[in-house]
Amino acid sequence: MRTFHQLFGKSPFALLVEHTRRVHRTVELIRPLFEAFLDEDWDKCEALYKKISKREHKADLEKNKIRDQLPKSIFLPVDRGDVLKYLKEQDSIADAAEDVAVLITIRKTPCPEELKPLVLDFVDQVIRTSEELVEAGSELTQLVESRFGGPEVEKVLTMVAEVNDQEWEADKRQRVLSRAIMEREDELDAISIVFWMRIITTLGAIANHAENTGDMLRMMLARG
Amino acid sequence: MSPITIVLVVAIVAAFYMAWNIGANDVANAMGTSVGSGALTLMGAVVLAGIFEFAGAALVGTQVTETIRKGIVEVTLFEPTGMFGEDGPLILAIGMLSALMAAGIWLQLATMAGLPVSTTHSIVGAVVGFALIAIGPSAVDWGTVGQIVASWVVSPALGGIIAAAMFLIISHGILQKDDPVKATRRLGPYLVALVIFLLILSFIYKALKNVVQDPHWGLVLGSAALFAALAFLFARVWLDPMRARNDKPFAFVERVFGRLQIITACFVAFAHGANDVANAVGPLAAVVQIHAVGELPARVPVPFWILVLGGVGIVIGLATWGYKVIATIGKKIMELTPTRGFSAEFGAAVTVLIASRLGMPVSTTHTLVGAVVGVGMARGLAALNLRVVGKIVNSWLATLPVAAGLSALLFVILRALLT
Repeated sequence: MRTFHQLFGKSPFALLVEHTRRVHRTVELIRPLFEAFLDEDWDKCEALYKKISKREHKADLEKNKIRDQLPKSIFLPVDRGDVLKYLKEQDSIADAAEDVAVLITIRKTPCPEELKPLVLDFVDQVIRTSEELVEAGSELTQLVESRFGGPEVEKVLTMVAEVNDQEWEADKRQRVLSRAIMEREDELDAISIVFWMRIITTLGAIANHAENTGDMLRMMLARG
Repeated sequence: MSPITIVLVVAIVAAFYMAWNIGANDVANAMGTSVGSGALTLMGAVVLAGIFEFAGAALVGTQVTETIRKGIVEVTLFEPTGMFGEDGPLILAIGMLSALMAAGIWLQLATMAGLPVSTTHSIVGAVVGFALIAIGPSAVDWGTVGQIVASWVVSPALGGIIAAAMFLIISHGILQKDDPVKATRRLGPYLVALVIFLLILSFIYKALKNVVQDPHWGLVLGSAALFAALAFLFARVWLDPMRARNDKPFAFVERVFGRLQIITACFVAFAHGANDVANAVGPLAAVVQIHAVGELPARVPVPFWILVLGGVGIVIGLATWGYKVIATIGKKIMELTPTRGFSAEFGAAVTVLIASRLGMPVSTTHTLVGAVVGVGMARGLAALNLRVVGKIVNSWLATLPVAAGLSALLFVILRALLT
């Protein structure tokens, strides 16, 4: 009987891991972007923005591929809604990264020299949060194999907790940098301050979405 | 040439064609996964399937063949003392031939159109079809038909339950353990022994009867247990020295189950041969009987050579066309990892064998689908497309009336031609 093979839907989990990697590839470009930004190398910023935008688009294509494969009639080992929420949240990470890149390139915003180390420190922390998420998210295929049970679950929950910790560290640096900017409100022009606040908030959003994605992953496991 | 001889010759051809079809299309589901995952070569799959299909047909095929031969139709109504008088047995034979031809034609059409069709449903529907038009509802043993239809509902469900249970055993006993590799070495041999035990148990009673008059149950169970113990030891010898990478325990587990799945695939092939050979040779057995003796006495068992004919037909179908289907299916069901495949095949094989021993003709493919759904419900599959289940139920509803109608039509034509 030929329809036997149609019983098996294509596994979304391998594709989800791929999506995780693509999203991170978008995020990791933030570091060279900010290096160029702080050096006031505007051409390089432009070039990096284009690259980030392209990678974000690729992640979107992957996301749509996954969604196409999850009609209502598909039965998954975890809640289908949970999977779609996880995907959406993870997609927001790449979106935020692209938003930051846009902010960097629409205006030549200056940075006070003494704040540059703080900025890079914050950027690194955000990327670190994303890296931790990749670690956790890559375990999805293993989780499927062990039926979302056993020691694998503990392992992934520990990784998700690590993502939470890194996001907290990012929050701390966000606050430090925001205060530092506001302390120089007399030195900087008003529009630059507005842009800096937007840039900082959006960078923070990358880490926030990474944490939320981790929480979605945790929710998938809670039913195991 | 007397009419009954004509009927016999055509019936043999039609039965052979049905058997060929079964071998060409149905066997692939059992062997496909093992070929797709690389555990078996295509040649190996064809050889193993051939051996086990034939063994199933020859060793266990009797009961289901009996049901189709005379369990569905009230054969007493076709005796010379019945309403048709002297022509009674001939008309019965014509009816069986119509059923066989109708099922074969429907199968061919459906396969060409790419529709999922159950050989079992086709033949049962066809047999009921000619009986209804020949005489009417009184010609059908509705009790038996009722049981058969019930078995069509129960078999996928039971297959699912057993498959889910097996998968949960594997999941809790191996996959969710801290050391899956060690757990596989420990649990694997028991699973092998279990499959071998059940497989041997299926036919050993019959085998022992040739050696010992009326074998005692203890002897039967003991013999099967002996083979199981040997299988256990063999599995230990095979598994203990097997190398595993520390960082990829699941790869080891799946590799082992890839091999174990070969055993369950053979198990399914065996069960399939046992149950489905009847679809081809059941009606033929009735015709042969009528040709030889002039009526269908209740006590004569199905001749062995008929089962052999069916078995050979299946094997030839497998060897000439089935291997292509196996190769195609193998690529398409890669998503069915060995641990899951093992569970599903185990559930399906056990269910079909139980049905065969009870004389119930069930659809092996539907049972396998039920088993896979069972594993999916136990959260064993990455993604299960439930829409296909709906398609299958629809194909049920379509096959029965079509096969019955076609059979009735052919019966009217053949009867006009031959009497």
